[in-house]
Amino acid sequence: MKSSVFAKMGERFRRAVVLLLALGALGGLYAAFSPTSTAKDGVNTAADEATYVREGQKLYSEGCISCHGRNAEGVTDRGPSLIGVGAAAVEFQVSTGRMPMARQEAQAQRKPPVYDSDETTQLAMYIQSLGGGPEIPNGDLREGDMSAGGVLFRTNCAACHAFSSNGGALSSGKFAPTLKETTDRQLYAAMLTGPQNMPVFGDNQLTPQEKKDIIAYVQSMKESKDPGGLGIGRTGPVPEGLVAFLVGIVACMFAALWIAGKS
Amino acid sequence: MSETHGKPLDLDAEDVTRFDLVREGARRDGVEIAYYEPRFDPSEPKGKREKRIERVIALMLLTTGVAATAFVVIYGWWDWKYELDGETDKWFTPLLGTCMGLALFGIGGAVITWAKKLLPKETSIQAHHGGASAEDEQQLTVATLENMAEETGITRRPLLKGALAVGLLPVGAMAVVPLGALIKKPRGELFDTGFSKGTRLVRLDGSPIRPDDVSAGGIETVFPGIPGGTTNHYADSPTLLVHLRPADAKKAVPRKGQSDFNYGPFYAYSKICTHAGCPASLYEQQTQKLLCPCHQSQFDVLEGCKPIFGPATRPLPQLPITVDDEGFFVSKSDYIEAIGPAFWERP
Amino acid sequence: MKLLPKIKPAQLPAAGAKFVDDRLTVATPMRRIFNKVFPDHWSFMLGEIALYSFVVLLLTGTFLTLFFDPSMTEVVYDGSYTPLKGVEMSRAYATSLDISFDVRGGLIMRQIHHWAALVFVGAMTVHMFRTFFTGAFRKPRELNWLIGIGLLTLGMLEGFAGYSIPDDALSGTGLRIMNAIILSIPLVGTWVAYAIFGGEFPGGGEIIPRLYITHVLLIPAILVGLVAAHMALLVKQKHTQFPGKGRTEKNVMGERMFPGFAAKGGGFFMIVFGVLAMLGGWFQINPIWLFGPYKGEVVSAGSQPDFYVGWIDGWIRLWPAWETRNFDYTIPAVFWPSVVFPGVVFTLAALWPFLEAKFTKDVHFHNLLQRPRDVPARTGLGAMVVSVLLILLISGGNDIIAEKFDISLNAMTWAGRIGLIIVPPLVYFVTYRICLGLQQHDREVLAHGLETGIIKRLPHGEFIEVHQPLGEVDEHGHTHLEYAGAPVPKKMNKIGATGAQPRGVFFPVERRSDVEAEQKALAGGHKE
Repeated sequence: MKSSVFAKMGERFRRAVVLLLALGALGGLYAAFSPTSTAKDGVNTAADEATYVREGQKLYSEGCISCHGRNAEGVTDRGPSLIGVGAAAVEFQVSTGRMPMARQEAQAQRKPPVYDSDETTQLAMYIQSLGGGPEIPNGDLREGDMSAGGVLFRTNCAACHAFSSNGGALSSGKFAPTLKETTDRQLYAAMLTGPQNMPVFGDNQLTPQEKKDIIAYVQSMKESKDPGGLGIGRTGPVPEGLVAFLVGIVACMFAALWIAGKS
Repeated sequence: MSETHGKPLDLDAEDVTRFDLVREGARRDGVEIAYYEPRFDPSEPKGKREKRIERVIALMLLTTGVAATAFVVIYGWWDWKYELDGETDKWFTPLLGTCMGLALFGIGGAVITWAKKLLPKETSIQAHHGGASAEDEQQLTVATLENMAEETGITRRPLLKGALAVGLLPVGAMAVVPLGALIKKPRGELFDTGFSKGTRLVRLDGSPIRPDDVSAGGIETVFPGIPGGTTNHYADSPTLLVHLRPADAKKAVPRKGQSDFNYGPFYAYSKICTHAGCPASLYEQQTQKLLCPCHQSQFDVLEGCKPIFGPATRPLPQLPITVDDEGFFVSKSDYIEAIGPAFWERP
Repeated sequence: MKLLPKIKPAQLPAAGAKFVDDRLTVATPMRRIFNKVFPDHWSFMLGEIALYSFVVLLLTGTFLTLFFDPSMTEVVYDGSYTPLKGVEMSRAYATSLDISFDVRGGLIMRQIHHWAALVFVGAMTVHMFRTFFTGAFRKPRELNWLIGIGLLTLGMLEGFAGYSIPDDALSGTGLRIMNAIILSIPLVGTWVAYAIFGGEFPGGGEIIPRLYITHVLLIPAILVGLVAAHMALLVKQKHTQFPGKGRTEKNVMGERMFPGFAAKGGGFFMIVFGVLAMLGGWFQINPIWLFGPYKGEVVSAGSQPDFYVGWIDGWIRLWPAWETRNFDYTIPAVFWPSVVFPGVVFTLAALWPFLEAKFTKDVHFHNLLQRPRDVPARTGLGAMVVSVLLILLISGGNDIIAEKFDISLNAMTWAGRIGLIIVPPLVYFVTYRICLGLQQHDREVLAHGLETGIIKRLPHGEFIEVHQPLGEVDEHGHTHLEYAGAPVPKKMNKIGATGAQPRGVFFPVERRSDVEAEQKALAGGHKE
């Protein structure tokens, strides 16, 4: 027996679900930004340094050795050599949770870090001690000229990470990640070392000051408010078109239904 | 039209009410007011329902008044000026929108509620006289038209016919020809860029580049080192300088006849996509692909940037480069083919 | 000296009307307008949404022109938006930023303008599909259909011009692609591109001023003219109506224009305007300050046109790398999806009323609409077109979808390509079958009545469901009601059988007696 009441409720329910989904999608697009910063400059003396390297080696032999090899020389088909990648690369990979990697995949994903910031520094210093490489300078990495950074960002970074720094798709399932949660140090490290498919922007190419300019621009843009209301993801015409239909035209159609409905 | 419904009304008869006149007017316009019923009898005291509706409408209009006043106040006195870390200014636009929206909803709601709940219920039927006019009407109009032609006697006066053509056609041309000011002959610019023999490759800020300025696995957007080279005047010239890692450089297979275009592991490719002209500059340094963000064409950097996916049909042109006496990158010549999207005259 | 005779307020309408009529002799035509009858159905108001959005566009657009300067002169930005301070840009972009940050209320005007543009084109599209699916375009209304196609095409062009003139990096990317599209036209492409842009892209600064005058004068003037013609034809030919009790090809049933219909229309304008104001206040659109000024080397991941161009862009993305090269001459791949395909689509759409009349050999006038189910072939075709447009639209944003939902970009492209081949015929077939099914059910209900949900056991043990006939029955329990193109009630509470129902906005309740009378009246002519 088919109940008309249920059918009708079903219809209303469906409408409600569609509406909720639509609104949910919009809400999802509009997510808040939360700035974080983990400046790490607590290593002062040579003695400290030696301890840190030793601790780092211990961590390495527990967590990294199986893929990167006994002396960080790399293991074929499992992990690359880490000699010469520098502390910056280690800090980026470990502090964004990309390393240790859960499994082999096209692209390591950002996830909650396994090591705390102290341990990350220890690991970084251990790898640095093996073969040198780029390091992240200490101090305020945001001390730069925003608008100069903006010009550089749009020329060098926006193509992959988008104007809004929300990220974008690359070929075959790879992607340039959003910079939403990226800290100053991570931004700096990423430019310096070119993790995964990102090209390297060495210090001769983007000077340390230019890197700070870019960081100043990216971080201030991320934290900046949307003067025009909800940012709907700052993703451009795709969510805008959705809103135009799902909010604008749907609202007008409901009004039309009301006006033409019998009273 | 007026004969279609009922009998004509004697307007001067004694017992004619105003609504009778309305009905008669409608009748003369081909409209029959088939059903008409006031929602509330005006001769009776107002009932609860009627009063409620009146209150609802009044409330809506009041909302409008309040919201519109709020709009004026906010527009005039809100601390609206944008500051990067300002707190109040971000509410300016949403508040204006809310006030304007509420004010308009108030009027709209009030008017519609008035129409739906207070105006009499009515069904009117208007006769529809679509279709062609009556045959005799058509006949008369056609005759008039033909007579017009006849009166001019154009068929009898071949000289004037010819003279009209000779005289008026150029007027048409005269009207159109000024648009010719828009016409410009496409020149060689479509085939060349700002680069030529010995042009330095410079950064956005105009500074020249040495090989050790670009790290292995890095890219740099470069421009011709000529006046205005980094501006949109040379929008066809932006070039992507790629520094391949040693392992990748070994695998690189240049296009035929272009084996000396690179300078060691440095390759310079046009940044302008050969499909629709967007900067194809999404460089994947591990998979050695260049991706265009507009239509997803993908190019293989190790094989002379030949297209491997998407709608692009041609490889990104490669700029022949070397290093000058001072150690800065220069182009050995301009691109040897047209950069950017294809066109008819392009072989 | 008394200039005006003294009149009591109650006499004002009569006195005013007399004053005007003495001079213009308009008593009869004016009354005719007051008495004009309009049918009432929510779907007839979709075009109104477009009309009202257009009015809002004119209002907000006029405000914007007071502050916008389309000049391509290079200036150094010195406005309130600090992240761009000191950046070199065109005056067009700088003044767009000023409207957003330094003109009081400028941002909300810009945003309402942009939202209104999206709703304008969107509502036109929805309105067009309503007209298509109900057969409202048939003789004698082919001309108005053609005007409608013109409005839609010009609306898209107008939108594109508006998207381009702020001269930010996103609009520049769009122009760059438009330049490539024009270049791709065989034989004359380079000449046309040079004529429009004033040289090789981006030309010598001519394009933005040219687009500006096109955007604020040329196209709006034509749009206003076409809108007026669209409305004039509507008034002259009268509105179509759905079949129903008393409704024939030779009448229009509804409400007289004044005061009821006009009040509802005016109120609806306020509501549409209100929705646009809310959108403009609450949803940020086209945040040009994030894009920066246009530079030839700048691009962003996720670059899209607005949705009404999105379907063409989707087609450009899906089109394979097919380029023709003959005797040193080239037809680029981009030509087919961006020039030929939209051309074919709009030509077919424009010719559709004539094509359909030819196929169906239909020479009659139609003032009554059809229910989509009663014309399965057309409905199937329309659904097919909708599916094509949706696939193309999704493909136009395939990089955003790939990124947000973690799907391979290449897979999205292939899904679009394959979907474009497989889905439309499937949609046609399924829609066709659904239409036939609905038709059959209508006739079943008319013959046997409604399912009541009451199960009865007959003396010999058989279970049957009791049906409620919609009219008088013959000795076999069959009702002889002919289907006449109007909705058939399908549920008991639709005929008031379950007692008083709440008055619904979406499901107005009709009394059983009404339904019976209506179906009888409709079928009257065919009954033996």
